[in-house]
Amino acid sequence: MNVIIHDLTDLQFQQIFPQIIGDPRIVSNKGSIRNCIGCFGCWIKTPGQCVMKDGYENMGSILSQADTVTIISKCYYGGYSPFVKNVLDRSIPFLLPFFKMIDNETHHKPRYKKSFQLSVYFYGEYITPSEKDTAENMVSRNSINFNASKHNVAFFNSIEQLCGKVGKQ
Amino acid sequence: MNISIINGSPKPGESTSGLLIKYLLQETGESNAQVFKCSLQATELAEIASSDVLVFVFPLYVDSIPSQLLQFLIILGERKDLNHDIMVYCVVNNGFFEGTQNYIAIQQMKNWCVAANLKWGQGVGIGAGEMLPFISNVPLKHGPNKKIGYAISDLATNLLNRQPGKDIFISPNWPRFLWRIQSTRFFWMPRAKSNSLKKQDLYQGTKRS
Repeated sequence: MNVIIHDLTDLQFQQIFPQIIGDPRIVSNKGSIRNCIGCFGCWIKTPGQCVMKDGYENMGSILSQADTVTIISKCYYGGYSPFVKNVLDRSIPFLLPFFKMIDNETHHKPRYKKSFQLSVYFYGEYITPSEKDTAENMVSRNSINFNASKHNVAFFNSIEQLCGKVGKQ
Repeated sequence: MNISIINGSPKPGESTSGLLIKYLLQETGESNAQVFKCSLQATELAEIASSDVLVFVFPLYVDSIPSQLLQFLIILGERKDLNHDIMVYCVVNNGFFEGTQNYIAIQQMKNWCVAANLKWGQGVGIGAGEMLPFISNVPLKHGPNKKIGYAISDLATNLLNRQPGKDIFISPNWPRFLWRIQSTRFFWMPRAKSNSLKKQDLYQGTKRS
């Protein structure tokens, strides 16, 4: 399954995906998402599921079924937009609270055996070289922490430029 | 001098960020600084925008700035009444042991300063954040709080003088292997038990391939 997480309007999404191939799971801004409050309930109360029931509580389970995760986000300061970041903040039930070592650093153990390929498409008119560098490093860290098998990052000046490019990097 | 400290923790109650702010206030003197949550109230935003020094204290969420604080930064950065002489400092704590894992969030704060046309001061990245409340009875600059105490002191000196400083990345003075064992035994398990869950219950879903 392909999971698409994006911060686009319906019209912008249709521009980029005039035809939906397959049956992807699309995570978009329905206006109901609440912020992660760091309660760890998804680890020690209802393991694998967020305790806030707002339609985004099953991100851990959704990511566990993904072969590919495609993120389309406006770039802010070398990171995601608030909505996309919120979705990722709410995705930590995908992981276990316990730790393992990777390259002499501590990281969370994965909850699920399956891993996905992560593709991130940033858009924005004035993305600076420093922001690009930060964003590339961040996605690389995301890839380690979400146990992704592979990752790639691309930058576009506008949504129009993105059309026809998603999935072809 | 107006120092505004923003507690960027999305937690409603006590937090490691709150504890680090307490440590910072001990060094700067409480009367010199005002502490805010990530409030979008117009009056508070106006007060923050007119500060001389801004200190953001927040946890690392998924390798970067938490969503709630990010939204706050976008709104604050676009305000027309923002004082562009503001010096910006930050203290980031993460749940992993290594303070170095906070470097992306600090880099994002630097990028925010460029976008908002503010002056960058200094960043401090502290690892093993969940451990800090457990050692809060140990005086700063001593025992496991040794490096944390010196880092907060260095930050306080720099922000009181409105001068830049070198970014600092630290972990508590404590063996990492012991921290790993203790995080399971003394942090996760008691919390699971209080919800009537056993250790194997926390592995819900792990068998899915």
